[in-house]
Amino acid sequence: MVVIDEALFLDGPPCVVIDKVKMTYRVQSSDERTVSSRGLKGALRKVLQRPNLVTVSALKEISLVVERGESVGIIGRNGSGKSTMMKLISGQVAPTQGGVYASSTPILLGVNAALVPELSGDQNVVLGCLAMGMDMDQIDAQFESIVELSGLDSAIYLPMKSYSSGMASRLRFAIAAAVNPEILLVDEALNTGDAQFSNRSKARMDELRAQAGCVFIVSHSLDTIRDMCSRVIWLDKGELIMDGTPEETTQLYQDFSSHLSKGNNISAAKIKDEARANLVATQILERASGRRAEGR
Amino acid sequence: MSAKKAKLPEPAGIQPLSVDMRKLSRVGSRPGFLDYLVQLWDFRQFIFYDARARVQSGTRRDRLGSAWLLLNPIFNGLTYYLIFGVLLQTSQGIENFVGYLVVGVFLFQFSSGAITAGARSIRNGKSVVQAFNFPRAALPLGANIRAVLSAVPLILGMLLFIVVFPPAETISWLWLLVVPAVLLQGVFNLGIGMILARVIARVHDVTHLLPFALRAWMYASAVFYSYERFITDPTLLEVLKLNPLFNVIDIVRSCVLYDTLPAWESWASLACVAMAALLVGFFFFWKGEETYGRD
Repeated sequence: MVVIDEALFLDGPPCVVIDKVKMTYRVQSSDERTVSSRGLKGALRKVLQRPNLVTVSALKEISLVVERGESVGIIGRNGSGKSTMMKLISGQVAPTQGGVYASSTPILLGVNAALVPELSGDQNVVLGCLAMGMDMDQIDAQFESIVELSGLDSAIYLPMKSYSSGMASRLRFAIAAAVNPEILLVDEALNTGDAQFSNRSKARMDELRAQAGCVFIVSHSLDTIRDMCSRVIWLDKGELIMDGTPEETTQLYQDFSSHLSKGNNISAAKIKDEARANLVATQILERASGRRAEGR
Repeated sequence: MSAKKAKLPEPAGIQPLSVDMRKLSRVGSRPGFLDYLVQLWDFRQFIFYDARARVQSGTRRDRLGSAWLLLNPIFNGLTYYLIFGVLLQTSQGIENFVGYLVVGVFLFQFSSGAITAGARSIRNGKSVVQAFNFPRAALPLGANIRAVLSAVPLILGMLLFIVVFPPAETISWLWLLVVPAVLLQGVFNLGIGMILARVIARVHDVTHLLPFALRAWMYASAVFYSYERFITDPTLLEVLKLNPLFNVIDIVRSCVLYDTLPAWESWASLACVAMAALLVGFFFFWKGEETYGRD
């Protein structure tokens, strides 16, 4: 590995900078093999019924810079850290190390914008929009279109807890899609609900994407990624494997997955290793002034 | 299998990239204290809407609906009247003991409810915290505004009870002083609730201790008895009288039951403690802003 001496220079201010971000979770494991039940510590653990905590590394050190006008697709297998990455960018979780910097508050468009079950759908619409920083006039203006997008009709006046999970997630999506964010994050689980809803939500997403300054998309559908993105990042087990054009990256990833599904683990790993060996990682040099550094 | 375990190769190179970071801010970072308060002000509509909607929905399942907000304290007072006024007929040497008791119990109920709601607000609102970016103090603040809103019928029920049940008191201008006293109590509740909200967000076990602490506090606040009856040591009495809950109860009792202007010392002590709790509460809560809603 070589550290390139000459620093590249990014002119305008970027939209999102991910600087040496790393994420580890401490989670409970039910795997008894990893704990010793002997000794004082083990005995204490038994008495207090302390869960067996293990450290899971969800994302290893990653740095990225995303400029205005880019739409970045994130691909990878289950557990590769895609969703963690989205949560980090949206600020839902704080990285264990490093920091995510953004030019405005990123909005995560997913179906996990949880709401208050005791309140009715319309109250939740108002509350959710207020929580995203809209004011009452904006909400009044948008209310109809939110209800229409959710497709709930008169059920909007019933308490959220009476909704089916599909209805609730449609409403959540409709609320989250009410703002026009500069930085838009789209998580893949949008394929909820019936065909009618998925058409409507896709139309709304296209609108938002067209208006946003930069977009991050997580999807398992490589077609979606190729259609929508100008840059694709491949993650595997929390490591950045590849960062390139949609065509190249999705092609390699497709080869990798097809080898894996056939059971050719070795050739799959070879593809992955090759991609990784060709990766040029980024190191962020923060500069305070807008002027170019000397000796570029 | 061996290929799977093989170490991932290092990247070909590392490209330093000079980036202008001036216009960027860290995602989810905690703003300065004053900026935080300004942000909170910008979210006032959210806070009020949340409080109002939840007060209304709290009784939606009941047939009598919002009437319960008033009926609940009235039945509560009635119970005390039947037990202490009719059955036991105790007075413990206190003039209008039933009224004395009702004021104490009702005002304590307001504080305990508000503090519990504030303390649990971050834990209970975890899903909202994770879904949206807003100043987290909006949650304990909303919970306390909710408590104040539902305290209105509680106080009205209390006053109604005092006017109606013997020995009935007459309404005087002094009754208006109940409003500032209860507002100061609300300020104190908010401060304590915010401190506990951060503690409970971190160590959930504290929720189990909270009811005991509140009960001990109730017994220490002269709800059922007067301090003078048990405590002879004057210094200890002075210390006990710093208790803001005791001051609120004392002020309301002297206005409503005994028709005397409350001592300025009670007001001063109450106001100081309430403001201090608010300031400490906000500051302590703000310090933990980045930690809420995370596991």
